[in-house]
Amino acid sequence: MERQGSERLEVPLTALRDGETGIVTSIKAGRGGGWGRGWGLEKRLMDMGLTPGTKVTVVESAPFHGPLEILVRGSRLALGRGIAERIFVEIEKE
Amino acid sequence: MTGRKLVIALAGNANVGKSVIFNYLTGLHQHIGNWPGKTVERAEGTLHFKGYTIDIVDLPGIYSLSTYSLEELISRKYIAVERPDVVINVVDASVLERNLFFTLQLIELEAPMIIALNQMDMAKKKGIEIDTKKLEKLLGIPVIPTVAIKGIGIFQLLEKAVEIIEKGRMAKHVEVKYGWEVEERIAKVTKMIGEIQFWYPPRYVAVKLLEDDEEIAREVNRIDPQIVSTAKKLANEIENLHGHSCSTVITSERYEAAGRITREAQKLVSPIKPPIEERIHTLTTHKLMGYPIMAFSLLLMFYFVFTFGDYASELLNNFFYGLEPLFVSLFGTGIVGKLVWGGIIEGVLAGVTIALPYIVPFYLILYFLENSGYLSRIAFLMDSAMHKIGLHGKAFIPVMLGYGCNVPACLGCRIMETERERLLAAFVTTLVPCAARTVIILGLVGQFIGIQWALMLYVFDLLIILALGRLAFRTLPGEPTALIMEMHDYRMPHLKTVLKQTWFRVAEFIKIAFPLIIVGSLAIKFAEILNLLEPIATVLSPVTVMWLGLPVITGITLIFGVLRKELTLIMLAALLGTTNFAQVLTPVQMVVFTLVAMFYIPCIATIAALVREFGWKKALFITVFEIVFAISLGGVALRVLALTA
Repeated sequence: MERQGSERLEVPLTALRDGETGIVTSIKAGRGGGWGRGWGLEKRLMDMGLTPGTKVTVVESAPFHGPLEILVRGSRLALGRGIAERIFVEIEKE
Repeated sequence: MTGRKLVIALAGNANVGKSVIFNYLTGLHQHIGNWPGKTVERAEGTLHFKGYTIDIVDLPGIYSLSTYSLEELISRKYIAVERPDVVINVVDASVLERNLFFTLQLIELEAPMIIALNQMDMAKKKGIEIDTKKLEKLLGIPVIPTVAIKGIGIFQLLEKAVEIIEKGRMAKHVEVKYGWEVEERIAKVTKMIGEIQFWYPPRYVAVKLLEDDEEIAREVNRIDPQIVSTAKKLANEIENLHGHSCSTVITSERYEAAGRITREAQKLVSPIKPPIEERIHTLTTHKLMGYPIMAFSLLLMFYFVFTFGDYASELLNNFFYGLEPLFVSLFGTGIVGKLVWGGIIEGVLAGVTIALPYIVPFYLILYFLENSGYLSRIAFLMDSAMHKIGLHGKAFIPVMLGYGCNVPACLGCRIMETERERLLAAFVTTLVPCAARTVIILGLVGQFIGIQWALMLYVFDLLIILALGRLAFRTLPGEPTALIMEMHDYRMPHLKTVLKQTWFRVAEFIKIAFPLIIVGSLAIKFAEILNLLEPIATVLSPVTVMWLGLPVITGITLIFGVLRKELTLIMLAALLGTTNFAQVLTPVQMVVFTLVAMFYIPCIATIAALVREFGWKKALFITVFEIVFAISLGGVALRVLALTA
């Protein structure tokens, strides 16, 4: 066991398996060529409830590099994979 | 009886039943147009209640009042500037927290409001119980529980709205409080604003400046740039304190407030077994099962629409052409008679026999699927496929519509988030073989060469869409967006709302398409009467005969095809004097002709839709591009096929 106790792991949302839950730490939009800046990706995501500290559950990820179905604040959202890769979450490993 | 005029605005998230409430309130007295100069829809209606004439404005369904989307900006400005007498905030009881996030923003706008706590039945099914009295107290706003789909609570809603207006300015609602370090800075900015009058309340302006809201910063900058720069500095301080941008901090805290209220007002009892809606959801988005279910549903839909459409279209045609002798006896066969019948009446007929039989059932099913929630599942399943042409899952819906008719498909591109995305999607939909093109593909290639060749043309069309879609995606400046979409719980659609939505879309289609179809058929009829068609065909012959290897008269049929594409085939039969095309065209000619007919121009109604959505320039560009493309493609196809033949 290389990870002990409550060590925290920050990974993109896409790293979660179906059914796993994480806590949003940050959204990395706007970096790297301004992706998402113009249409306010970060703000949109937060407006849908994905603010830092929020619990997110990945219900299912669609095949062929498809979108993720997530549960956040009691609502069910579909997120394109490119977006989900920019959302970082923390999984608490026991 | 005062006869006083009141204005009530409906605001809320998408898919919360807002339009159902709107329909209940306004019945048949509604009017759907656009917000001035915008492509955002504006639904308005009137009703009479207790001696008042009440104007109901249905604002677009949105999740926030920021300014990244036109819908949000329009809603915010409307509430702040036009100041409706009361705002009815429609809230989905089954997703309370996210909905209250929006409610809190309305509260910050200091609009007089009441809450319609809708879909109480769905919430209960999911094991969510809400104490409305408590919610009322926590928010300081009247809360009326409703089940809009059954009309429950609508009357009380109206009563409450009128009561609030009659009482004058409403009871004080709570203030949304942020952490002290934020509040401190809000106070500083508010103080600087002091007596300056904006459309928005001072505290709201302060909060929005800290949130780095472009529109408000611009407005304040015009009056006092000092305030904006101070707010920037203060926002940076907050960012340093929290390690997140100030706008993130404020949004988070607003959501926390919504969460706190939600936890206090709602009680969760887990349902005994997962409701049926949940199981349908799992099945229809399933990795394996989802796709065949979708394919089957779509095939069923097209089968139904086309079967019904063919039948109804023939009935209508027979009926109208049955009137022709009567018409001839009235107007004679002189120039006037020819112009009126061949130009105007046939133009209208063309519209009617397409619009009514195909577009009506198509929209009906589509809206049914949309309101039920299935369309969002389809968008979910098709997201990765649509990424191949640089679009995301939602774009599949207009593309799918395109297989019926390109006109609604172009209009349907409004669901895309940015102007760039709308244009890309619309361009792609004009390449989709619509019902009229299907007539040509099946009637010419399918019947005289073989169905497998017809199917190959469909596959080829997909490849063209892929290639041109990618090309457009690469060349059009701007950045791509991606899928962020709510998948609300499955529910039974409200039939009256579906009917009404269908009716408005059909009316819109008629308004856009008919004038140009009629003008177009008049122009062609004129050319025919003046014997100009054959000279035109001769002028076109370098292209049609030398480059495409087709008979001269195809020049004429292709001109008619601009009106509606299946006319290319109908005219071909008329001019060649036979419907047995095998006698007059070689298989290669048939393929070339069909290819050209598929791509050579969006039909005149589609051009009209493009003009309306994107302006003359872009519509013209797409049209010219497709003409050049189709002719080049046809010529190349001729030479390639000649090699293999």
